[in-house]
Amino acid sequence: MDPLSLLRVVLDTTEDAARALIGRERIRLAVTGLSRAGKTVFLTSLIANLLAAGRGARTLPALSDAAGGRIRRVFVVPADTETVPRFDPDAHLGALAADPPRWPERTEDFSTLSLAIDVERRTSLGGLLPERRVTLDLIDYPGEWLLDLPMLRQGHAAWSAETLARLRRGTRAAAAADFLAFIDSLPPEAPAEDVLAKRGFTLYRDALRACRDTHGLRFLQPGRFLNPGPRGEAPLLWFFPLPDSVRGGLADLCARRYAAYLDDQRANFLDPFFSRFHRQVVLVDVLGALHAGQEAFTDTAEALAAVAAIISGANWLERLLGAAPSRVAFAATKADHVPTRARDSLAALVEHITLGARGRAEASGATVSCHAVAAIRCTEDAVARLEGQAVAAVRGVLLQEGVGATIYPGEVPMKPPEPAFWDAGLFSMPEFRPPRLDRHGASGMPHLGLDALLAWLVADLL
Amino acid sequence: MTPPGDRREDGATGLRTPTPGAAPAPRVILDEGAAPAPRLDFGWEKAVAVVAPPGSRGWSSLALLGAGAAVLVLGLSLLEAGNFVAAQFARAAWLGWLTLAVAVGGFGLVFAAIGREARGYLALRTVDRARAAHARGDVAVLQAELEAWQARLPPGLPRTGNLRDMPMDAACALVEAKTLAPIAQDAAALGRAAAMQAFAVTAVSPSPGLDALVFAWRGIRLVRQVAALHGFRPGIAGTVSLLRRVALDAATVAATDVAVDAMVRGVLSSRIAEHVAGEAAAAAVAARRMILLARTADEACRILPRG
Ligand SMILES: Nc1nc2c(ncn2[C@@H]2O[C@H](COP(=O)(O)OP(=O)(O)OP(=O)(O)O)[C@@H](O)[C@H]2O)c(=O)[nH]1
Ligand SMILES: [Mg+2]
Repeated sequence: MDPLSLLRVVLDTTEDAARALIGRERIRLAVTGLSRAGKTVFLTSLIANLLAAGRGARTLPALSDAAGGRIRRVFVVPADTETVPRFDPDAHLGALAADPPRWPERTEDFSTLSLAIDVERRTSLGGLLPERRVTLDLIDYPGEWLLDLPMLRQGHAAWSAETLARLRRGTRAAAAADFLAFIDSLPPEAPAEDVLAKRGFTLYRDALRACRDTHGLRFLQPGRFLNPGPRGEAPLLWFFPLPDSVRGGLADLCARRYAAYLDDQRANFLDPFFSRFHRQVVLVDVLGALHAGQEAFTDTAEALAAVAAIISGANWLERLLGAAPSRVAFAATKADHVPTRARDSLAALVEHITLGARGRAEASGATVSCHAVAAIRCTEDAVARLEGQAVAAVRGVLLQEGVGATIYPGEVPMKPPEPAFWDAGLFSMPEFRPPRLDRHGASGMPHLGLDALLAWLVADLL
Repeated sequence: MTPPGDRREDGATGLRTPTPGAAPAPRVILDEGAAPAPRLDFGWEKAVAVVAPPGSRGWSSLALLGAGAAVLVLGLSLLEAGNFVAAQFARAAWLGWLTLAVAVGGFGLVFAAIGREARGYLALRTVDRARAAHARGDVAVLQAELEAWQARLPPGLPRTGNLRDMPMDAACALVEAKTLAPIAQDAAALGRAAAMQAFAVTAVSPSPGLDALVFAWRGIRLVRQVAALHGFRPGIAGTVSLLRRVALDAATVAATDVAVDAMVRGVLSSRIAEHVAGEAAAAAVAARRMILLARTADEACRILPRG
């Protein structure tokens, strides 16, 4: 830990203590999740339901009860002079409530929003004292970028070796055939030509896209290759992993750009937003990973563990200074894709897929728990008759077609499935239409288990 | 993103042969006929609706007692007056007419006073209604209440035209900026003036008992003045209800408010403070209370909750 970041941690700790003293605490809540895990929808629902709860509606009963009914008011903290874009819950809510409804697009840039929660004090004379104001800081960002975190601790050579080893295995090898052929054909003394660099970048990026979009894989680095963000594909990105047999000018160029890329990501994204958290929730689309096959499942687990090593991992000093999250919740999202009775299995399965990630969080002193949530409940329980037997299923309205359908999501195992399980083949869950929503969000939106998750995560701070 | 193994199946066609003993594979079964289906409705709005706080409805026994006494006094005296008028007519027509005129005049004044009281009291209720509508997000009711309130405001205050064409957030922000913020400033000025007087009186007065009296009288006047800024003319019942509100809101207006402290300092650095520095401690407390009272009264009367 360098002196500068130590100083920052000390300053942050002092600020936290001062805020607690005057009843103006700040909770930085990290909502982490790989791409398409459901972060944007989760935040939209969290904000809408908290705002409604602040008006007295029972949208989050478990949280209200855990807070002893002391929540008096919830409002969005007005914008100041931030240069960071603002998360726009109203726009997302409007799109979800519109006819026909739209889910949020892939997130392309980060954005932040703070909610202020006024709570009555806990003491018996609480009613006479001014209320405490707890500010909840939230951020949204493209899930792909999260995987830049593990790269911060690697040089270009080490990263290349690890990435290429992974790329030559399993379905990746087929998806990246062109790229692998390209680097294998590079002469050891390849010169620092931008034509080569750009060609390599294009092939590598296309390979990553194929891995993400057709194979459901998640451990794909660097993040901005898949989601270049507001600044597009700058020359900064024209690098790729190289085998150590290539040592000429091209290798130097790639190593330089790799370092510059990480500096850029660190300065603009990771340091300002991922350096200090009080609480963390890790969203995992377990069911999607399960349906995308064995390789996608283990790949998701590895990606989560690699990210957790950075976000939740903390040394003793950071822990002492409260720089590491003290509670980390792991949540299977889109729990409405399975019938009620399968939701416990979903929560159990998230426990297994996040084994590595949980280990890291626990090792740095955090308490962890596992949940199954649906930020927006889009289905109801149903029964399907398959091959003569009745099975529990869900019923919803399909997003594109607008017609009703019963979906049998398959068996949800409580632990990582046996090899035979994967023989059942792949499946892609259709997208559903959200239920009828009020576009002003006056009463939040229907969810499953969001209140229990929040109660566990933040109620002790209210 | 559609994995290659996407096997979305229409209807029950294309079932795969399952591995013996294994659970069936996941699948999508479209509804028969496949007509567009309405979106699901879980009745969420009703399930989470704001529950009204229990109690506080119905009359307390004290209120019943008061109302009964009022009915008795008024009713019996009306009957009594009627009898008396009839008796006077029996004596002489002109005497009857004269008594009738006196009775009508007297009772007219009494009823006018009651009517004014009721109006003042009920006007305060609009604040509750508007705030409740705001909390519920009920745009229509809020707009109606805001318009009615604007119509009642004292002349000379800036108003916002055409609230109906705006989204609710924008309308509220405008009302806040154009009307409520200036009112808050005026209220603060009233508070400063009252603080100055309270300070002066407390610093020079001979007895603490007299202080308390002056303070209470000045406080009530201040609260009514602030209410008038918001377009309320509370009578006696209205003032009592207003004072109750102020007492409730005092808990939420931070007693340690920095703004209050700054204002007290402003008042105390005035010339009076220099002259009577001896009694300053108690007097400063009195001044501070006035400023706080003005703020709390403003809080209690504003049609939209602050911030
Ligand atoms: N049925 C259901 N679907 C959900 C839910 N949450 C997310 N989804 C689906 O998952 C998709 C992705 O959700 P997002 O919130 O956009 O995912 P994200 O993590 O923000 O993804 P990136 O921005 O790409 O990182 C949505 O378009 C929905 O189709 C849920 O609670 N219920
Ligand atoms: Mg997103």
